[in-house]
Amino acid sequence: MPVNLTPNAIATINGGDVNLKPLVQVLDIKQMGSAQERFRLLVSDSVLTQHAMLGTQLNDRVKTGLVKKGSVIQLIDYICSQVQKRKIIVVLNLETIIPDCEIIGNPKMVSDALTQKALPNTNSMQSSTVGYNNLSSQSHGSNMHGISSALSTQNHGGNMQSFRPTSSNQNQGSKMQSFQPALGAQNYGDDVQSFRPTVQPPYQPPPSYRNHGAVMKNEAPARIIPISALNPYQGRWAIKARITAKGDLRRYNNARGDGKVFSFDLLDSDGGEIRVTCFNAVVDRFYDVVEVGKVYLISKGSLKPAQKNFNHLKNDWEIFLEATSTVDLCPEEDGSIPQQQFSFKPISEIEIAENNSIFDVIGVVISVNPSVPILRKNGMETQRRILNLKDRSGWTVELTLWGDFCNKEGQKLQEMVDSGFFPILAVKAGKVSDFNGKSLGTISSTQLFINPDIPEAHAAKDWFDRGGRDVASMSISKDIVQGGPKNEVRKTVSQVKLEGLGRSDKPDWATVRASISFIKTDTFCYTACPLMIGDRQCNKKVTRSGNSRWQCDRCNQEFDDCDYRYLLQVQIQDHTGLTWATAFQESGEEILGYPAKELYFLKYESNDDTRFADIIRSRLFYQYLFKLKIKEEMYGDERRVKITIFKADKVSYSSESRYMLDLISKVRTY
Amino acid sequence: MDTSKPAIFVNGALLPMHVRKRVRTVIQVVGADRGAVVGKSPDDLQLVVKGSPPSAPLTNFVEVIGIADSEKSIQAEIWTNFGDAFDTYNYNQLCQLANGEYQHLFL
Repeated sequence: MPVNLTPNAIATINGGDVNLKPLVQVLDIKQMGSAQERFRLLVSDSVLTQHAMLGTQLNDRVKTGLVKKGSVIQLIDYICSQVQKRKIIVVLNLETIIPDCEIIGNPKMVSDALTQKALPNTNSMQSSTVGYNNLSSQSHGSNMHGISSALSTQNHGGNMQSFRPTSSNQNQGSKMQSFQPALGAQNYGDDVQSFRPTVQPPYQPPPSYRNHGAVMKNEAPARIIPISALNPYQGRWAIKARITAKGDLRRYNNARGDGKVFSFDLLDSDGGEIRVTCFNAVVDRFYDVVEVGKVYLISKGSLKPAQKNFNHLKNDWEIFLEATSTVDLCPEEDGSIPQQQFSFKPISEIEIAENNSIFDVIGVVISVNPSVPILRKNGMETQRRILNLKDRSGWTVELTLWGDFCNKEGQKLQEMVDSGFFPILAVKAGKVSDFNGKSLGTISSTQLFINPDIPEAHAAKDWFDRGGRDVASMSISKDIVQGGPKNEVRKTVSQVKLEGLGRSDKPDWATVRASISFIKTDTFCYTACPLMIGDRQCNKKVTRSGNSRWQCDRCNQEFDDCDYRYLLQVQIQDHTGLTWATAFQESGEEILGYPAKELYFLKYESNDDTRFADIIRSRLFYQYLFKLKIKEEMYGDERRVKITIFKADKVSYSSESRYMLDLISKVRTY
Repeated sequence: MDTSKPAIFVNGALLPMHVRKRVRTVIQVVGADRGAVVGKSPDDLQLVVKGSPPSAPLTNFVEVIGIADSEKSIQAEIWTNFGDAFDTYNYNQLCQLANGEYQHLFL
């Protein structure tokens, strides 16, 4: 990247400038000081070089590598100081422009001769100054600054204490020399060699930056920068951006007490986006000020790393507004800032997207389901509404609306679809879920736009009207099989084994059409606790206590009658292979056709083994559609894939035929 | 399986292509007309099935195998009751497969 350093920057700074904010390059970095760590830079304007001390608050920039040899930096707040006859730039704030760069130009290395020649006035003044000759030095305004600033620099380093007695000492003789090593060690390293106390500034209280004119706060309005250029290391910035979304005011309660928070999203003319968050009192200041769609000038806030789990904007930072921040409405509309920024992806891409990734899609709403109440895990009830979106990729996807979206946009969409319209829906920031194939769901930062006036919407409508409506499209959301049950992933027995199902964190589900080839009858059921715990039956295994009663260890109770539940080991077999599977109560009863209790009594009370065997044998070799849950589990040191029969449905030949005919027609299209 | 006398799966629309050949289809019995059975083909066309039905009463759906003697009638030799529930959609699809791309897989 070509970059020009600010021409004559070094000379200008040496001449007393504090407003140039020049671009310079770092040629060298030295660590100084022992009491307090400081860094000295050698900076270049491509022609001249000069030493610059970094304010300690900037030490981190060096330590984190933001400023290193070769970095091109912009000096923001700085002052040129006179330290022991040498000029040095004290840098209070800077900005890294290019972290790493080749050395630009052919800068001359700094030398005493050069600095002295460049500053004849200062030198002569200093050499002629003896003792309390500070009156004349005060008349040299800029020089005075230099000295006091140098002092304050030392103050920063904690060296002021050692220097002060010296300055009050009128005797400049050999006594001074004795201070030299000590000073040097704490002070400026190799500079100490040239330390010649020709001038003794009169004692003065250590100055601070605040009462110092040259480093007064710059009250001029900060320059507007692109959002993409924002970072935590800038002191002053302003951005001009449109508010594309405004979050609800949320109240929270955590270990530090109650609070409230809200955030809004910004977009600027360069396409940069960033989230702005306010807490507590700051919320009150800005909540009513910000309005979606309007353009604002925003300044003074702190930048923090973006909370990626809440914030899906393409920015690593987010702005936290503070009490001193300003959010000013720009009265005139700025057409260069788009209303919204989408990065639409075709639905076909969602299918291969990772779970929880964030997508913008646009498509035609082809159906809207009614809104249904859903009980969330935390016990709160929320609304859910599912609609189907079709786009030019020829695929459809289920979009699940949650909460308020169901009643606002969802209701409107349903009315439109019910009256025969097919609205275009743009979804900003929908979340991909891998529930039932792949689907899309709303999150709090999702935005829905019905029939938006954007080129993509017109293109989608055009495509739909010109035949897209009639294009048969496949859904990526569910493995919809004509006539077959929904949500099923068909596998054969060998596929279940060969594809290594169940090895991931979550169990895999598969539907297998197979027959039962063997039923293990040594133990096929267990004695279960019939007591209710909440709204569920306990079902824990119970043991005989005494002669006739049953005891549940979990409920710690005894009762006369227990429940009998299936725990059935069966082999299932199809044309590709054979596997063991376990069926619990419901699916066990589906397979055997009798309640477990009945078979238990037949076998263990009536001892009617013949009839029992007949029943078992009569259940073999029927075809079922098994819904299997497949999960690898640890048994001691051994990993075993455990297959549970979640549901066993007798094959309906009619719908199974349809399923297979459908498969044949799919084969034909390949 | 008797492969000596293959019968082609047909629906109402395919029948005219196989006149004087041995065919099979399933009809939904609608009624009788002068000694013949009138029925509906899987693709909802009217067919006439001649010959002598079995002594047992016909169910709603009946498979017939015989010679197609015209574009709309079959001289049946074998009658088989297929019960009162039958998925004509699937059967119709089967007929199309048997006369289409996968014809070589059928006798």
